[in-house]
Amino acid sequence: MQLTFSKTNSSGYTITGFQGIDQATCQRLHSLGLQLGSVVRLVRQYPFHGPVIIEADNQQIGIRYAVFKRLTGGY
Amino acid sequence: MTTVALLGNPNTGKSTLFNELTDKYATVGNWTGVTVEKKLGTIKHSQVDVVDLPGVYSLNPITKDETVVTQYLLHNHPDLILNVTNANQLKRNLLLSIELLEFGTPVIIALNMIDDLKRSGHYYNFETLSENLGCGIRATNARSKEGLQQLREELVRSDSPTINQPLQLNYPFMINQAIRQASQALIADYGYPQKFARWLVIQFMNKNKVVRDYATHHQLTPLLNQQRYYDAQDFEDDIFQTRLAFIEDTLKAARQTLSTTTHVELTAKIDQWITHPLLGLPVFIGIFYLMFKLSFDWVGTPLSDTLDAFLSGPLSTGAAHWLTSIGAIPLLRSLIVNGLIAGVGGVLVFIPQIFVLFACISILEDSGYMARAALVTDRIMQLIGLNGKAFIPLIIGFGCNVTGIMAARTIEQPNERLITTLISPFMSCSARLPIYSLFVAAFFPHNQALIVLSIYFLGIIVALLMAKVYQILFKVKENTVFIVELPQYHIPRLDVIWHGTWDKGKGFIKKAGTIIFAGTVLIWLLSNLGPTGLVTSIDHSFSAQLGKLIQPLFAPIGIFSWQAISALFTGILAKEVITSSMMVLFHTGSQAGLIALIGQYFTPLSAYSLLVFILFYVPCFATIGTIKSETGSGKWALYSVVSSFIIAYALSFIIYQIGILFI
Repeated sequence: MQLTFSKTNSSGYTITGFQGIDQATCQRLHSLGLQLGSVVRLVRQYPFHGPVIIEADNQQIGIRYAVFKRLTGGY
Repeated sequence: MTTVALLGNPNTGKSTLFNELTDKYATVGNWTGVTVEKKLGTIKHSQVDVVDLPGVYSLNPITKDETVVTQYLLHNHPDLILNVTNANQLKRNLLLSIELLEFGTPVIIALNMIDDLKRSGHYYNFETLSENLGCGIRATNARSKEGLQQLREELVRSDSPTINQPLQLNYPFMINQAIRQASQALIADYGYPQKFARWLVIQFMNKNKVVRDYATHHQLTPLLNQQRYYDAQDFEDDIFQTRLAFIEDTLKAARQTLSTTTHVELTAKIDQWITHPLLGLPVFIGIFYLMFKLSFDWVGTPLSDTLDAFLSGPLSTGAAHWLTSIGAIPLLRSLIVNGLIAGVGGVLVFIPQIFVLFACISILEDSGYMARAALVTDRIMQLIGLNGKAFIPLIIGFGCNVTGIMAARTIEQPNERLITTLISPFMSCSARLPIYSLFVAAFFPHNQALIVLSIYFLGIIVALLMAKVYQILFKVKENTVFIVELPQYHIPRLDVIWHGTWDKGKGFIKKAGTIIFAGTVLIWLLSNLGPTGLVTSIDHSFSAQLGKLIQPLFAPIGIFSWQAISALFTGILAKEVITSSMMVLFHTGSQAGLIALIGQYFTPLSAYSLLVFILFYVPCFATIGTIKSETGSGKWALYSVVSSFIIAYALSFIIYQIGILFI
């Protein structure tokens, strides 16, 4: 487990791809205005690879850790 | 009569706006999907109907409640669409607006929550927006009623000069050409209006599931023949990119910067604690503990006791005296005093507890906490194959299983929704509370809260275990859709809370007047009639005979009283009826009297076994009906009845048989 939530407040990430994310999730992320190249801020990360809160365009969204990793090119 | 359709993203204050505009009100919630079905209202002193539709992110639905919107547009013809947007998040709100503008019906876009936008230091030039989008733009703030009067007047003015030209975006050449070809064929061969045909083609390219079903159903060959080509060319993605680029250009052109900003981020401050990675869960537990304390300890129960004292005391004896004085026959007097006042009254006394609980749930919905609750519980729910969103229906299920099951519509995956629906009846709803209260007062006077809590927890544990079983049976995948939008916090407004509470609670009062009333009369009849006609002793009545007949089945779980068995049967009508049936069957008018009587028939162990049985045995009629309508199959409803009865019997059997070895 990474205890990365301590360095939250200014971590910006760029969305590098939607590969490996299921169709419904992709569609919803698109509807929320997220696309390739969007910059999101990591607001919070829950322990044990729990959900992640990201912020983009003045809105906060909770997504699964795995989805976040795929969006930002983690794996 | 003019019809205005209210459409918009979730969390844009759409329902609040609807309530402010119309005479009647709908349920409002700061939790996605609170508007589970379309609601109808009329603007005050006018001939304008307003339809409130569930909040959607796009016209291509993912969840069940989202399909309502697309179905509405396909089959209805509103005169005007009022597109409610969150002014602060215009970029993604306009994605939906474009789909509506392409539809061709005149649109007015309300930039709601305009205060939030101003506070963020930005503003938009409305003329630029209006010009680019081709529709009217209005600024509103539904919560502070800002801009509503003008909006209302505009909607009422039937001849309002709204621009009618549907928006035509500059899609890539290939797409434009395909749109033109297909829509021309639809107009020529099927007689569709031009605007509608064009919209239909774009939605079809966009893989809109509802529109594709519609095309298949109406055999729209110009679309169906091209489906593979559209998908192979990935038109969907090009359409999305074109729209987003158009929005970004429009917003860039219209954006203005305000000079002074006094930006205090209340939401961020609250969220430091509420969504804290480690403290989030304890805070969640604390909030719900507080909610139950308020309902069942601090406020609800004292009020309920007062009401009971009045109903079983002055009202009951007063009615009896009055009926005697006007010379009513004893049978009628018995029906009214022992039947109706005891039975219906015995249920009405729980109104305070139930309303306090519903008020708490409404506050959590309106403030924006529910979305956070889904987030902090997600990791745990993942363990049983569900996601955090399933937690909300289950929590709402504590109030009433029917509303809980209906709230499950916001869950994206069909399998997860089915699992949530199937385990919802195990959440101990407020209707079951009366009978718990009665038995804990009789048998566990010193540990009332603890015993009730243990029943609630048993329900939760069984629900979670069953969810795990279903997860394996239905082969639910690990990575499921879970996207939850966290709205800004709002200070809950009293009238919104009251409306929400009333909307949830009125069903209970209505039930008291209908099904509980009918059930009580039925029980009274069965206990006063026998094979030989009117009986003087209840021991010879139909209900006694019925109860005695199946008594051997219930002996192994410690229930020997035929009155209790007969009461259990009536509980299938509605769980509240169990208490009122017992009142009638034991011939008593007050809780205190009943408590004294049941002491002779039960031991603490068999009482607990009975409570466990009542928790699980069979969902009430309303719940069975809802399971059938939500799953679209009578089989799941039947399955729910049978499986819950087996679980109930097995658990109370184990508890009673093991308990009896030690006690």
